[in-house]
Amino acid sequence: MSAEEMGKVSDRLLRPLALCTIVFVGVLAISPIKDFRREWRQYKRSYVRYAQTRPDTKRLLADYRPDIDQIWIPGMNVVDRCTTCHLGVAEPSLAGASVPQPFRAHPQVPHKIREWGCTICHRGQGAATEVAEAHESTLAWEQPILPLKFIQSSCGSCHYADLPQTPQLTRGRQLLSELNCQGCHKLRGMERPAMLGPDLTSVGTKVSREWIYKWLKEPRTVVDRDGNTVANGYETEEEPRMPKFRLDETQLRALSAYLSMQRAHPVTPYKFDLHVVAAWSKNPELVSQGEVRFKQMFCSTCHSLAVTRAGETKLIGGDIGPELTKVGSKVSPDWLVAWLRDPQGYLPHTRMSRYGWSDEDLYKVTQYITTKLTDSDLLANVPQLGAPTEEEVDLGKRLFQEKGCASCHSIAGLNPQRDFGPDLSALGAKNASELEFGKAAIPHNLVSYIQAKLRDPVSVNPAARMPQYNWNQADLDAVTTALLSMKGAPATSALQNLVVPKKEAAFHPPGPFGELYERYKCYTCHKFNGFGGDVAPDLTYEGSRAQRQWIVDFLKTPQTLRPTLVLRMPQFNMSDKDAATLADYMSLALQHPDANPASVDAKEFTPARAALGKQLYEVKYQCQACHTIGGTGGYVGPNLNNAGTWLTAGWIEAWLRDPQALVPDTIEPHRQFTDEEIKSLTAYLLTLKAGTKPQKSAALRPSSSASSSAEGAGR
Amino acid sequence: MRFRRLLFLSLLMTAASFHGCHKAGAGPASQGPVGSYDTETDWTDSQKTIPLGYQEAQGKRIFYQYCVWCHADASPAGPSNRSNLTPMPALLNDGTVLNSQNDDYLQNLITLGGSAVGKSAMMPPYGKTLTPDEIRSVIAFTRTVAQPPYQPPVRPGSQYSPK
Repeated sequence: MSAEEMGKVSDRLLRPLALCTIVFVGVLAISPIKDFRREWRQYKRSYVRYAQTRPDTKRLLADYRPDIDQIWIPGMNVVDRCTTCHLGVAEPSLAGASVPQPFRAHPQVPHKIREWGCTICHRGQGAATEVAEAHESTLAWEQPILPLKFIQSSCGSCHYADLPQTPQLTRGRQLLSELNCQGCHKLRGMERPAMLGPDLTSVGTKVSREWIYKWLKEPRTVVDRDGNTVANGYETEEEPRMPKFRLDETQLRALSAYLSMQRAHPVTPYKFDLHVVAAWSKNPELVSQGEVRFKQMFCSTCHSLAVTRAGETKLIGGDIGPELTKVGSKVSPDWLVAWLRDPQGYLPHTRMSRYGWSDEDLYKVTQYITTKLTDSDLLANVPQLGAPTEEEVDLGKRLFQEKGCASCHSIAGLNPQRDFGPDLSALGAKNASELEFGKAAIPHNLVSYIQAKLRDPVSVNPAARMPQYNWNQADLDAVTTALLSMKGAPATSALQNLVVPKKEAAFHPPGPFGELYERYKCYTCHKFNGFGGDVAPDLTYEGSRAQRQWIVDFLKTPQTLRPTLVLRMPQFNMSDKDAATLADYMSLALQHPDANPASVDAKEFTPARAALGKQLYEVKYQCQACHTIGGTGGYVGPNLNNAGTWLTAGWIEAWLRDPQALVPDTIEPHRQFTDEEIKSLTAYLLTLKAGTKPQKSAALRPSSSASSSAEGAGR
Repeated sequence: MRFRRLLFLSLLMTAASFHGCHKAGAGPASQGPVGSYDTETDWTDSQKTIPLGYQEAQGKRIFYQYCVWCHADASPAGPSNRSNLTPMPALLNDGTVLNSQNDDYLQNLITLGGSAVGKSAMMPPYGKTLTPDEIRSVIAFTRTVAQPPYQPPVRPGSQYSPK
């Protein structure tokens, strides 16, 4: 080939070659351009632009680096790159809704983000570098980010004890326990209590077969008059504890037959003196006197009744025991008398106290319950069932076990069922692929699954044995939160060390006090050393607080010191001996080390000091804003009419010095009194001795939740 | 011919990669709020709920434990202590009174009590009972539920920034 030809060829190739070079360079440039345009780099650049619009640019960009940022905590399995885009999480000046996301500061929480990472609380994929992959449940990932309204569940995966900061989680745990979920399921941090549902050993002596039929068919509307399917028949915020099982007619007949045959401990009718009964029966006021007694004894502290006011029917009263609006149509009168005389004889684990009844009171109250708290239409829709046949009883017994009834209820001759439902102690850590969604049209993630299953168990699994509960949205979310918090044993030993265990408390004192404590079930409402209910004041240090004689008087005739309380100490009709035994033990054993009555010299409380104390009380500190003396003042704290006979001088002094040292959650503010002021105020309070009883107010307390905070200051 | 094919292929690749880039870089997608830590019903309109963040939710908890007795028209125990007091305490959500007070003033008022800032001595000091953070969270809660709504100062912290 000649040079000329060569030149021609090269001329011809020159243009394509140049083009190829350009294309090649272009293709080479794709990679850096692609990298430059990565999602996270765009966020980084937009952060720089945003920082430049702010006055504190210099500080915001001081630690800025253009590459991927990562929080790596090997012991806790944390590899979180979230801070690559969420650049301002730890920057206090970027707080507030005016700062655009993803740059906004994290709200102040008790944990430092750099020490804990993000996914420990928020879930999601820490290692992902794309928005969708990090936050959503994509094909490759199974842990979507946790919706914020369930975020408290993450606190609960390490804090097994209840935290004040997480009310939703606490409510959820409380519901799980109240609704006896641990009867069938294993739940983390929840022991099976001695009693779940009522013991049915002798249920046949208590209620009729028809009532059982109706209860099993529709537990929630059993008290409803108009056939409405409103929860529990009344407007109530409480979930009914007995769920609805999906039972057909044969099953209802069989179970009601089986249960009505349960009469392990027959009731011996209590014999009132016939002459006495005859005399009482002539009394036209008998029933209304019974009603007055029912109210005087404060049955409403634990039991509610439906009350219609201004056309609206509501349940008024406590929720410790069952509501009693129609109980007269439910239980047999003989059983009722036996129960009132000795509840623990029928149900050993009951929370109801044994009252000291006089025959007269017992008769009147029973008459009131069986004639006034009734509804003749209660069993109107129940077919005539007649005497149980043998087949029905046999089928009933089989169903009782098949449906898992024995998980919560005991019956003579049947072993309690354990772990009838699946173990839920690690439910919160499950991936979507481990769950069965059936044909339910819901997003395939854990949160939707839990909510669908709780709302309607059959929706995700047509063969579900789980019964039907009836939730309002807030409670459903609370239970979901509590279930999400149960993530099984922590994955790593570093995490195991972080767990804050729940402190198990039990207070069962021995001796004569212990016997009375069990008889009156003090711990149903009161707390002792962290054990017991929260309806009434904590009595752990009652011996330091109250004078012995005052305790005796109070036990004999309970009064309230807080004008706004409606849930009150019941009238137990206690004997002098019982009251003295309780008061002696409290004065000796329930003592606070900081409030020593012996350390106070009564001579210090001179009239001059008392006069000064009155001035301090009324003018300088204006305690009357919250406390009542002699009919005027506020009603946030207890009334102090009788402070001189109620409180010990040692307690008043210690209280004024630092209330929270004695009762940690009391709302009385800790003030800086001088020692002289403390002495003077104490002297003044000790002069307050009321000859008359404190006035009672009929004010209502709609919820019991207030009690724990309201009663810190005393009672 | 071969070159043409090569050329076409490489052009196609370039176009494809740029297309990919475009899709990936569609820009920061706005992530709506997934929910809130807690909510509070608007005191003036029971149909409305106000979302609360962590801090405001803690403020709500403390408010309903310590403050609700005098700074609301109903307390968890039923009646309110507000009408017992003269002068009557401000309602927590009363923006007409509280919006004009800055956070520092309210922090002082709660910490040191009413008498320290020339207000009623019936407002006791909470500085030894609540931590500064807890008091801040109560103020944050107040701001969130205020009616008329609270407008924060235009540029918080600007008083310390370089002029």
